[in-house]
This record gives sequence, C-alpha cells and structure tokens, in this order.
Amino acid sequence: MYPVFMAQWLKDKRKPLFIILLIGLSILATVIFGGSRQNQSSSVTVFATGPNAEEMEQKWTALLNDSSDMEFVITDEEKAREQVREGKSDVAIRLMESDYRLITASDMPNIQFIEQQVHQVFTKEAQLEAAAGTENTMELRNEIEAYLDHPPVKVESQTLSGGELQEYNMGMQLLFGFTLFIVMFTIGFKVNGIAADKVSGVWNRLILSPVSKTGMYAGHLLYSFCAGFVQMLIVFLIFKYVMDYNIGSLPMILVIAAVYTLSTVSLAMLFAGIANTPEKFNMIYPSVISIIPVISGIYMPPGTISNPVLQFIADLFPLTYAVDAMMNVAIFDAGWSDITLSMALMLLIAVLYMGIGINMVERRKG
Amino acid sequence: MLETIKLSKTFKEKKVVDEINLFLDEGESVGLLGPNGAGKSTTISMISSLLKPTSGDVKLDGKSTIKDPSKIRKVLGVVPQEIALYEELSAYENLKFFGKIYKVKKDTLEDRIQEVLDMVGLQERQKELVKTFSGGMKRRVNIAAALLHDPEILILDEPTVGIDPQSRNHILETVRNLNVERGTTILYTSHYMEEVEQLCNRVYIMDHGKIIASGSKSELLSILSSEDTIQVQLSGQSDSLLDRIKSFTSVLQVDETNEGMRIISKKGSNILSELVHAAEKEDIQIVNFQVETPSLEDVFLHLTGKTLRD
Repeated sequence: MYPVFMAQWLKDKRKPLFIILLIGLSILATVIFGGSRQNQSSSVTVFATGPNAEEMEQKWTALLNDSSDMEFVITDEEKAREQVREGKSDVAIRLMESDYRLITASDMPNIQFIEQQVHQVFTKEAQLEAAAGTENTMELRNEIEAYLDHPPVKVESQTLSGGELQEYNMGMQLLFGFTLFIVMFTIGFKVNGIAADKVSGVWNRLILSPVSKTGMYAGHLLYSFCAGFVQMLIVFLIFKYVMDYNIGSLPMILVIAAVYTLSTVSLAMLFAGIANTPEKFNMIYPSVISIIPVISGIYMPPGTISNPVLQFIADLFPLTYAVDAMMNVAIFDAGWSDITLSMALMLLIAVLYMGIGINMVERRKG
Repeated sequence: MLETIKLSKTFKEKKVVDEINLFLDEGESVGLLGPNGAGKSTTISMISSLLKPTSGDVKLDGKSTIKDPSKIRKVLGVVPQEIALYEELSAYENLKFFGKIYKVKKDTLEDRIQEVLDMVGLQERQKELVKTFSGGMKRRVNIAAALLHDPEILILDEPTVGIDPQSRNHILETVRNLNVERGTTILYTSHYMEEVEQLCNRVYIMDHGKIIASGSKSELLSILSSEDTIQVQLSGQSDSLLDRIKSFTSVLQVDETNEGMRIISKKGSNILSELVHAAEKEDIQIVNFQVETPSLEDVFLHLTGKTLRD
C-alpha cells in the first residue's frame, strides 16, 4: 500500500498547481459569493408614496432599524422596484400610514424572515396606538420600555447546548458549501488514477506483484482521502485564523470533513465503476457533481428546495449531510449527538458506494 | 518448466484462444509468432495469471497455476505491450516504485535499479521524466521494470512495436543477453518474423487463436523443403501473365509484389524458360530472377495464405 500511496504523492509533488488552484478557488468563491450574499441580505430598501411620504419614511425606518439587525434604507420607489425587477435585491417595502406592502419577485425564505421582522414592528405600533387611545403614544411607549427593563418574567432562547441562539449565516453556508463542493473534484480526479493505471497497464503490473488487491486499492484511496482532507483543512484554517471566520469547534468540523471525505472517495469510486475509462470518468463525474450543490440547495437559504424528487436526489450525495452538520456546529453550537445522524448517513453512503464501486471495477476487468 | 494444456479463452461466444498447447524448457527462448489479432496477448495474459482461461490449464513445474497464481507470479517478469509506467515520474523513480512493489530488499534495490538501467542502456538518463523519453526509451524502461525482481521467466509482448531501429536493436540485444548470459527463460511474442528468427530457439506460429505450427527454425523451414520461392522483378504488371504462370503445372502459388511477383514452385522444377516465354508473349521484360532461401515468413505464408502484416 505504502509504495502505491507514495507514487501518487510523487506525481502530485511534480504538479502541485492543480490542488493549489482548487484551494484558491474554494477561498475565492466563498469570499466573492459569501461576501456579496451577506451584504445583500442585511440591507432592505423601503419607500413611501403620497403627500406625507417623507414623514412616514422617517417614522417607520427609525422603528424598523431600532428593532432589527437589518438595515432599512430609504430609496425612491422607481429605484426600489427596479432593483427587485433586476434581481439586485430580493425585496422592497412600500410603507403606508399603518400598513406595508412587500414588493418581491420570489418567495424565498429570507423574504419570509424580513416580513416577520416588519410585521412585528407594525403590530407592536398598532397595539401601542390602540392602548394609548387618545393619549400620547410616545409617553406610553416610554412607560412600557421602562417597565420591560425590569420584567417580572424573562424568556430567553438558547441552543440545545445552552449557547446563544444565532441568526442563520448564509455566508458561512457558502463557505462550507464551496469548500466541500470543490474538494469533490480533487478527490474525483485522484480516484480516477485507478482507472488510469488500469488503462496504462500499471495496474496489471501491480496484480502480478506481491502487493495484495486490498493494498492496491488502499494505496490509491487513502491518497485520494488525504489529498481531499488536506485541501479542506487548509481552507478551514485560512478562514478561521487568517480571515477570522467563526466556524465553531474546529475539531468537530474536521471530523465531519473526514467523514465527508471518506464518503466522497466512495462516491468517486462508484463513478469509476460506472465509467470504465479515465476519459469517460472525466466526462461523467464533473458533469454530475456540478449540479449536486444546486439540487442540495447549498447556494440557497435552507428550505428553498422543496421538490421531493430533487430532495431525494440530494439525499443520495453526502454534500447535504456534511453542510448541515457543519452549519449546526458553526452556528448553533451543536454537540456530537446533534450531528450523529448526518455522520451516520455519510458513513452509510461511504460503505455502500465503496462496495458497489469496487465490485463494478473488478467485474468490468473481465 | 512452463506449459499450457488445451488453453482456451472465449469472449462473448468468440473463441479468441483455441486449445493451445505449448511448453517452455528452462533457459529456452521461445517465440510466439502471429499476425495482429491472432490471440498472442490473450495467451500471454492467461499464462501470466492476469486472465482466467475459459478452459485448459497452465502448469509451472507440473503444478497448476490457475488456482494459486502466487508461485508463477514470483518467477515471472512480464513486459506488456503498452507502456505500463508513470510518465510523470523519472525512470529511476518508476523503477524504485516497481522495485518496492516487487519487494526487492532495501539494501539491494539501489544496485538492482542501476543494474537493470545498465542492461537497457539508460543509466545516464535515469533522472529524466519518462514523458520526455522517445518511444524506444520508454519501451526500454518498460523492460527494465519487469527485470527488477530478477525473474526466471520473462514474457515479452511485442516489445518493439513502433520504435526506432536503434532502440529495437538495443532491446533485442538485451533480450539475447538475458537468455544467453543469465539463463532467463524467454517467451517472446511478435509479428516481426526477423526478430523471432534472431532470438528464439523454437517458434510457435499462431493464427485465429490456434497454434498452426511449432518447432525449431529448421523444423519449420523443412515444411517448405519441397518448394522453391522465386522472386521475379518485371518491367510491368499484367493480369494475364499472372494467369499464365498460375497455369504452369509446377507452380503452387503466385502472389503479386510491388516490383513483380513471388512464385512458389515445386522443388527443383525449372520454370525459368517457361517464365521467359510467357513474359515475351505479354511483352513484359524480366528484370531480375532470384531463387530465395525460404524464411519463416514463407512458412507463415504457406500455412495461412497471407503475410504476417496482413
């Protein structure tokens, strides 16, 4: 096994550009798409129409900005509508005296989240006005706020492990998503080395040598695993220590990454079994895995993909489980028991696909 | 030492190798000759335990190797037709890799690598990447990789296909030295008749998956002992002249060549006067007339009715 492993390493040592390129790509994609997505979701355009539009805009923007982490920015109606139309922003809000309208082109989960925030502010204001009656609303507001500073009952939301409940971070999902997606290419092309060895005749030489079949496969697959895992390790370390991302417990993230790498090696082995030549593998594998993040909803907020067929297809690949587990660790401070199911499913994929893949490769040999 | 008994292989109802019996004695150099598609590579794959035969057996020192191929693998070196090397690695790195794979002892591996590199004449260029080598040099490294564990039997599957004459001569010289000086048993497959004639003590001729003739060179040539092969160079070609010659009672076979024709006639029959007469009638001149010593190529032609490169 060791010489097979070392031979693969020697080949890559001569041509490290491919792996460096993929590492760079992981970081670049996360920074570009993750960064823009974060900016996009934190700012919402608002506008009002009518004779006292300016007054309404000032009043509601102040209340909305006070009650949410999101930034509500006043824009003129034409511009706000155009941005939604062109897809530059997901939603714009038309403010009215005591009501609002959402202007949107889709029904994304983040729009529901914004709606929830806005609804809360308008409801609270309506309640205050109703309670104040003919009296001054501002006085009542101050009175209530003073009372709430020392409430008789205080409800606090916490994660299962007792940590602070965090807001869903799409940038973080993209970080994990891109890193795990791009590593699928690295692993795939390494596993394809088995098919290349078969075509070149090196595999036959190995069969005639005292090295066992298990050793031959283990050398190749272990190397593919290490190449993929080291790539992810480098990306995560850069994000955590250089770019200051809070990715949660690094050891847990790395354990998830290791299990994911294992299942991806098996997935690539399955593809190597389906495509019997390196050329066919190079055609089929990248074509199929490129659509997996889309089907798995990696580029979108959770819950966006609701089609059961797409969900079923996504469930056949380890990407969904890995991103889900990593997000739970990074955002919700999940413990081992919270990610057990995802890990178990990835291990199941690893065992099944590896078995089927090797079997197919061996049968095809004739 | 090594023998096959009624060895057969069928792929999808097509019999590629059909009940082949062959044997190799220790220290012998045996040629397996046949055109492309004759079944040579499949036979080799079965002998070397890479392919399971549909029926028949391969025996090493009287013991079957089908169920337990480990014994034959220990004593066997196989030079495949394809370049079975990592092209991204240097010649030295490739040999080190295969040496480790074949479990050559650490303390002797380095010497062994230099020894085999010397044998194939690539010691000077061992640090260069295989992908930068010419086809001939790659084939030499291909041979070197099969020699690292000092095999008792070396099987070479068309090791000189598509290479320059210099590399070809080097390879033939290496194989000869291995057989003569080191006593390595050789099974050499080729569709180049002259290589087999140069290197091998005995030859098996294969066609359509069957052994159609076997024996030493002189034994095979004796097949043609009752025939003369005559090369005739003509000033022009004519179908009617060909037909006339075919009608001669002593002529057994006539084939057109680039410059004239090749005639196989009964031994000792003097066809020259008849030939001159026929050519005159067709207004064609005989430029050259030569009675050839028969070669294995003629034997193959006689047995199969076609040349090796057909």
